[in-house]
Amino acid sequence: MNWPQVELTDVERFRALAAGVPGAAVTERVLPQDPDRVQAMLADLDVFATIQADLVSATLEERDGDRVVVRAKGARGQRARLEGQLRPGWCWLQSRFLITGMAVAAEPGGGTRVALTGGIRVPGRAAIIPIRVRHESNKTLDRLQELLRERGQ
Amino acid sequence: MRAAQRGDTVAMNEVLDALTPYVGRICGPIALHDGADAAQEALIAIFRGLHSLQEPAALFGWARAIAVREAVRVARRGQRQRPAELADLPAADDPQLAIDVQDVLRRLSPEHRAVLVLRDLEGMDEHAAAAVLDVPTGTAKSRLHRARASFRKAWSS
Repeated sequence: MNWPQVELTDVERFRALAAGVPGAAVTERVLPQDPDRVQAMLADLDVFATIQADLVSATLEERDGDRVVVRAKGARGQRARLEGQLRPGWCWLQSRFLITGMAVAAEPGGGTRVALTGGIRVPGRAAIIPIRVRHESNKTLDRLQELLRERGQ
Repeated sequence: MRAAQRGDTVAMNEVLDALTPYVGRICGPIALHDGADAAQEALIAIFRGLHSLQEPAALFGWARAIAVREAVRVARRGQRQRPAELADLPAADDPQLAIDVQDVLRRLSPEHRAVLVLRDLEGMDEHAAAAVLDVPTGTAKSRLHRARASFRKAWSS
C-alpha cells in the first residue's frame, strides 16, 4: 500500500516544540538568502554569540552526534552551560536559566524562513518568563540579517 | 519521556524527533494536501498536553488519537473535493489495495480515510479504531465498508 507521507520542515517542527514551552513566542522572518547560506552561518557559534544580544562568546565544549554542550559568556560576565541539539538548520539549547532555539527552512518561492524563540527560563521548567521575548528575537533577526548582508556576495 | 514531562526541553526535543515521522504517517493519508498543516497542528496539541499524559508508555497511542483528530479536523477545514461515491468492498489484504491509493483517498471523506488508516495502516481492530475515532463500533465498521467499497468502485470503473 502506497500511503501518502508527510514531511515537516524544521520550522514547522520548531513551532510544535515551542508550543510545549509556556511563555515562548516564536518570531519568524523570511530572508532573501539561500537556506544553505543561512544554515551555514547559524551553525557557527561565533555568529550565534554575535547575534544574541546578551552574549559575548559561545564555545563548543562537547559534541556527540547532534547533542552538544556549549559554554556561553554574557556581556555582564555571567556564564552559562547550555546543552541541547545543534544540527544544520536546527538549534535548541537550554541551561538552568535560559532557553534558546532557532530553525531554518527553505521558503516556497525562494529565500529562507528563520524562526527563533528563547528567553529567561523559569528555573528547571519548560517555561519562559514572557518579558520582551519578541522584542529580543526581532533584534536577533535584525543582527542576523545585517551579518548576512555584510558577508554577502 | 519522564524528563520531557518534568520540563527538560532537550528531552522534549528528543520526543519530537521520535514522534514527527509517526504523526506524519497518520496525518498524510487522512489530510492529504493539508497533511503538513495537520501534522504540525497535531504536534502542537501533543506538546501542549505532554505534561498531562498520565502513562508515558502510552505516548504513541495517545499521540495517534490526537493526530487522527487533528487530521480529520484540518482536512474538513480545507476540504475542496467532492465526497466519494460508494459501492462494495475489497478486503484489507486485497491485492488491488497495493496499487497507488492516493487518487482514491482523495475521493473519500476525512472520516473514511481515518478509519482506513487505523485499520489498514495501523492494524487496529474495529473496536479499537472506533474508540480512537470516538464513534460506536458499528459506525467505524460501516465507514470502513464504505471506504473499501470506493476502492473497489475506483478500480472496476
